[in-house]
Amino acid sequence: METFLQQLANGLTIGSIYALVALGYTMVYGVLRLINFAHGDMVAASAFVGLTIYVQVMGQSMTLFAVVAIFLLTAAVMACVGVILERLAYRPLRTAPRLSAVVSALGASLVIQNGIMLMWGPRMRIFPELVPQIYWNFGGVTISLIQVLIMSLSVILMIALYLFVEKTRIGAAIRASSLDQDAARLMGINVDNIIALIFIIGPALGAIGGLFIGLYYRGITFNMGWQYGLYAFIAAILGGIGNIPGAMLGGMLLGLFSAFISGYVSSTWADAFTFMLLIVILIVRPTGLLGERVAEKV
Amino acid sequence: MKKLSVASISVFLLIMAVLPNFLDSRWQTIAVTFVIFSVVALSQDIVLGKAGMFNMGQAMFFGMGAYITAILNYHYGWPILSTIPVAIIVPALFGILLAAPIVHLRGDYLLIVTIGFNMVFVQVLINNLGGVTGGPNGIFGIDPMKIFGLTLSSQVAIYYFAFVVLLLTLGVMFNLEKSKAGRALHYLREDPLAAESIGINTRVYKIFAFGLGAGIAGLAGTVFAIQYGAVSPEGFEFIQSVLFFSIVLVGGSSIPGVLLGVFVMFVLPEIFREFSTWRFFIFGFAMILTMILRPRGIWPATFGKIPKHLIKETKHGA
Repeated sequence: METFLQQLANGLTIGSIYALVALGYTMVYGVLRLINFAHGDMVAASAFVGLTIYVQVMGQSMTLFAVVAIFLLTAAVMACVGVILERLAYRPLRTAPRLSAVVSALGASLVIQNGIMLMWGPRMRIFPELVPQIYWNFGGVTISLIQVLIMSLSVILMIALYLFVEKTRIGAAIRASSLDQDAARLMGINVDNIIALIFIIGPALGAIGGLFIGLYYRGITFNMGWQYGLYAFIAAILGGIGNIPGAMLGGMLLGLFSAFISGYVSSTWADAFTFMLLIVILIVRPTGLLGERVAEKV
Repeated sequence: MKKLSVASISVFLLIMAVLPNFLDSRWQTIAVTFVIFSVVALSQDIVLGKAGMFNMGQAMFFGMGAYITAILNYHYGWPILSTIPVAIIVPALFGILLAAPIVHLRGDYLLIVTIGFNMVFVQVLINNLGGVTGGPNGIFGIDPMKIFGLTLSSQVAIYYFAFVVLLLTLGVMFNLEKSKAGRALHYLREDPLAAESIGINTRVYKIFAFGLGAGIAGLAGTVFAIQYGAVSPEGFEFIQSVLFFSIVLVGGSSIPGVLLGVFVMFVLPEIFREFSTWRFFIFGFAMILTMILRPRGIWPATFGKIPKHLIKETKHGA
């Protein structure tokens, strides 16, 4: 029972991070039908950007104000990177064959990954201890303040995003663009601006996820983006790609699944089990758990 | 036009045939790997370029061939030559078995599932399933290959063996393009629904493409194991599949395109090795730029003898 609750807490923490990152994949896929392979590397980059902001801008201060400022500034920087990425690498390929955009995304991933390496070096860096190390013990189950913070902040952000997309006019424009770009354009929606907006929201949420990775795991490396990116992308597919609540559900489920596999079966086989779960789900229910938002001909 | 292509092919083959004699030892190694990667990239082209299936797991079949040769030779003492049929047939069977339940999946889903296969494969190698894969270190000390009483010990000798394998693969590719199966795959890529409606069994041909690609990649794996006398999981990680995937798309889905792709994506980074830390940064930009300027690859595929003005550019396809 203790193992169960402990893995539940760990799984929900990792799951929240996956869900935040998965939102970036799913929103881009919803509108552009493109796997943004560079997203995972942007998540990795945000951890390094946060590190630099902490050292250079905040002068290593750890007040509440400084921590909030680090989160906001990192999200802002990554949103700019996202918009630039879309302008340079994806917009010129909007009418090209779909695979060309995939290769462009792979190229962008190489650029960002090696950009991190050039700026911050190839060795692992240690992310600062921004949140005090407070632990609570509930009958053998240890939960840290960081875990509580990650889970609660992720849930708040996801609810905010859900309300934004479902209840506001701009949200309606995003949903319209992902259903049918041409029809949306005819209704007077500036699809280019919507796509730019998606490349602001996605990387900003990914940036929060990247900072969480830094806070939770402490060690950050330039090439960690592929690993987290792939898991987050699986989460997006699990929930049904293009579907925003689906990405949240998929992230949580994937986090729980990998935590329980590591806890009960074996951590050396966790990746293999996760991918087998993905393969089984895709064979049984190819549109994901909540069904995809992408209506596609045949 | 036809004469020119015959001339250019013979010039290319001639250059390739005398190439290793002009290279130092480091470049001889690179030349051998270039030839092996060309074979894998051509096998990837069958699945991705010809049949239009987004396969990002070709390194798995490549690795399977290499590991079969290594395991049979190292643990069971088989001569390398007799491991070759097994290293072709087993990956081909795996290709068929794994492809059967997934070929109906739409593009991006297929891509992520094949990445999944590749990841599971590498994890199996690392975790040393059955105690024969050697774990994270792999297997060292594979015997050199003996053929007709000759021992392939130098890189030049292995180069010529790899070159023969490349020629065989090119033969398969030429025949495929002219065969019924090749035409079926072509229609399939352009429009699966139309292909189905004119009586092409799309499922069978998709699985066939996977099996053929896997078998050729397995053969390339054997040559790779011979070249290094060792195999380890890193050589077959899915990032390697990403390389083969990009090679076909950057080069374009034609035989010169694929070879050019291998040159651009594998040999060029070796030439710029001295800029080690900068090269992949610039390389990424080059990939983006290539796709913007030539979305169908540097040397795109042409098909059949349809006059140019009759071909309507389609949006999909590689």
